[in-house]
Amino acid sequence: MDVDAIKHLAVRVLTVAAFAAGIAALLLLAVSVENSAQFSRWQPWILLVNILGAIALMVLLARKFWQLYRDYRDHVPGSRLAMRTVLMFGALVIAPLVIVYLFSLDFINRGIDSWFRVEIKQGLNDAVVLSRSALDLRLREQARRTDIFARSLRELQGTALLQRLDEERRATEAKEIIVYDAYGRAAAVSSATPLAQQPAPSPPEVALQLAAGRSYVSLNSLPNGQYSIETAAPIADAVSARSGRRYVLIHYEVPQELSALAEGVQHTSSQYGDLSAVREPLKISFRLTLTLVVLLTLLAAIYGAIYSAQRLTRPVQDLIAGTRAVGKGDLGTRLPLSSRDEMGLLVHSFNDMTKRLRRASEEAKRSRQAVERERERLAIILSRLSTGVIVTDRELTVHSANQSAGTILGTSFANAAGQHLTQLPPGTARLATFISELRARLTAGWDEWREQLTLPGEAGERVLLWACTRLPDEREQGGVVIVFDDITALLSAQRDAAWGEVARRLAHEIKNPLTPIQLSAERLRRKLLGGMNAEDAQLLERATHTIVQQVDAMKQMVNAFSEYARAPDMKLQHFNLNQLVSEVAELYLLQDPSAEIRLDLDPALPEIEADRGRVRQILANLITNGIEALAGVKGGCVEISTLQQRAEGAATAVICVRDNGPGFRKEILGRLFDPYVSGKPRGTGLGLAIVKRIVEEHGGRVEAENRPEGGARILVFLPVSDQDRTLLAGGERRMEMRRERA
Amino acid sequence: MHTISRLSVALVLLIALAAPIRVRSAGPLAGDFQIRSAFVVVDHGVLQLSAHIDYPVNDRIRSALRDGVTLAFDLEVNISRHRRLWLDATVLETTLRRELTYHAVTDRYVLRDEAGVEQENFPTLEAALEKLGRIEDLPILVQSQLRGDAPWEVAVRAGVRRGHMPDALRALVFWTDDWHRTTGWYTWMLTL
Repeated sequence: MDVDAIKHLAVRVLTVAAFAAGIAALLLLAVSVENSAQFSRWQPWILLVNILGAIALMVLLARKFWQLYRDYRDHVPGSRLAMRTVLMFGALVIAPLVIVYLFSLDFINRGIDSWFRVEIKQGLNDAVVLSRSALDLRLREQARRTDIFARSLRELQGTALLQRLDEERRATEAKEIIVYDAYGRAAAVSSATPLAQQPAPSPPEVALQLAAGRSYVSLNSLPNGQYSIETAAPIADAVSARSGRRYVLIHYEVPQELSALAEGVQHTSSQYGDLSAVREPLKISFRLTLTLVVLLTLLAAIYGAIYSAQRLTRPVQDLIAGTRAVGKGDLGTRLPLSSRDEMGLLVHSFNDMTKRLRRASEEAKRSRQAVERERERLAIILSRLSTGVIVTDRELTVHSANQSAGTILGTSFANAAGQHLTQLPPGTARLATFISELRARLTAGWDEWREQLTLPGEAGERVLLWACTRLPDEREQGGVVIVFDDITALLSAQRDAAWGEVARRLAHEIKNPLTPIQLSAERLRRKLLGGMNAEDAQLLERATHTIVQQVDAMKQMVNAFSEYARAPDMKLQHFNLNQLVSEVAELYLLQDPSAEIRLDLDPALPEIEADRGRVRQILANLITNGIEALAGVKGGCVEISTLQQRAEGAATAVICVRDNGPGFRKEILGRLFDPYVSGKPRGTGLGLAIVKRIVEEHGGRVEAENRPEGGARILVFLPVSDQDRTLLAGGERRMEMRRERA
Repeated sequence: MHTISRLSVALVLLIALAAPIRVRSAGPLAGDFQIRSAFVVVDHGVLQLSAHIDYPVNDRIRSALRDGVTLAFDLEVNISRHRRLWLDATVLETTLRRELTYHAVTDRYVLRDEAGVEQENFPTLEAALEKLGRIEDLPILVQSQLRGDAPWEVAVRAGVRRGHMPDALRALVFWTDDWHRTTGWYTWMLTL
């Protein structure tokens, strides 16, 4: 059994003991009142039972008050209401009880005092004095008669004495006349009643009184309520030293009427005395008894008040606790239905409310979960999108963005939520242009647009197709969602395709008539040159020479186009790229010893799997471009370096060709790899286009940029093996898909 | 909680016990009140008790008597037999009750037995109390009624209390009845 259970049991026992004590006290009272002797005997037990009941009630009350105080101190819900109710009930109970108590005290004091009024006591005293006076008259009369009678007995002895005694007894209606000798022995007796035994000896005080020369008279009360008078007088005998002086003792009976009256006065006086003696104790006892009864009643009433208050406030406390629990989110709270009254209806309504709230909460939770799932799905889709998506407010504070947006704009949107677009790292020119264009449109009040945007960059311009739309918002302060795609590659591919078509048509439509033109011009010269004069011959010679020369030039151009448009027919083989680079560079140095070509080759570079001839062509084109770009530059130098990199899990060999010439013009930087774009006055514009075509046929990529310190730099990324090519092709396919979607 | 409960109990006990103790501490029966001697003799097969008791004498008693109060003088006599491992067996349990009152009409102190059959008048209180304190040859038991084996324990105790009072009133003044005093038990072993 735990401590709480023991406490609970103790409280129950105390409660039962208190009520049992009360009932026992009542029963004892009811039974004992019928018999005052029993009441007297049981009274200590009644008192004990009452005290025990009071103690039990006090203990219970102390416990209740402690509970109330503890709840009030700890701010238990409903404790203040309970305390107020208890105080109200207590005041309602205590006030009338105190009034009744005070009134009863006053009533007891006045009532008891009125029983013992001075007039009654004085009247009784007067009655006693009157009775005594009446009897005193008789006493004196009897004493006088006794004296006279004693003198008449002088010298009488024997029969004469007895006759005289009888005469006197009959004459005075005395009860008994006894003559005592000097030693107190009865010498002669005359009695109205037959003598059953020897007369009692003379009381000692009689002889003492008479010896002192005083007469003796005594009034005595008898058990039957009668009064007797004893008178004694000395007999005037001749005194002999031997026998001493005799005396006579006469017993008179007071008349019955007078005795009854005197006894009545005595009895009343005695009763009054008994009662007056208990006057103050009676007051105190009444007060104490009343106090005990009131205390018991008060304690019981207060206990009842607390009990009732707790019963009344318990449902309210339950409701408060339940409301708090619901407020904290515990919608499973159910209150016990304690009654069927209005409070019960309230509790029922509360339970119904929590039930509905719980249902609604569960529904909302399911909806939230669905929304959350949808958000997660959307986030996954957004993260996998190659299209950049940014959601900002009108102040350009980022709400959300996907990874592709960062990739396209050359920044990172990780942890960018809540940041301004301008605070994103690092501040590239691409991002700055994007932000300024966006801000300009939003400031101008544009809500929706879809157009192309060209962004500058160190590696060339990037072309974005961007669209913006306003997000619906009731507060009309909603943000915008910007969707953009990098279509630079797409545009480049479109251009490539167009130029490929042009090249094929040129090769097909122009190359065919060139040979007949050349042959016809040569035949004209051969046939006509011999028959002409010198002047005409010279003219013909120059004309045909020009035709042949220009046709050759056109052939070269057509061949170049043909080369550009030629379908890929690669012969893959493993070879050492460093060795190839060295060979090509050596050839150029042989052709033009004045050229400055420096090599910085990575010895750890593995053999690559590629078309050796086409890679040679790449190197040739790049070195040619570099040497041509250095024309007229003092101290010009072409540097070729190789190194190994890993990109998208694939190993790539990087060929970097850089010069310290003037670099690319900015206006053509974005279209360097387009056909017919050249920075040289006499260039065909197909060199870099062919380089790009070959690199892409190998599954690689090429980049061109201006060096910060001056000069140009071209980077060629070639997959090391066919497996690496496949890996890179996967990435390329993703790029293709992006292009297609765009 | 426990402290409050203990305090409550202590308070109630104090209230319950303090009042009677307080009023009884210096009552009107103050004075020499004791049993000086007591003995039992067997005369012709009858156990006779003789005792000498000093009763208190003071002006409060005298005044109370003269105001009409009746005093009852009890002499309780118990004879019991000791039993091993059990309560003592009571052989005799009797009380000799006499009442002393002042007769205002005759100016005498009247001593009477409880039944009111016998009555004596005394001119002084001292004479009446002297008479009360002298118990001589009071027959209390027939020897044949002494059951069991000797010895028996005889216990005598004298008491004084307010006499004539309705029981209901006596119950009411229970709280403050200081007219009640007893001597200790005067005991001795009786062997015949």
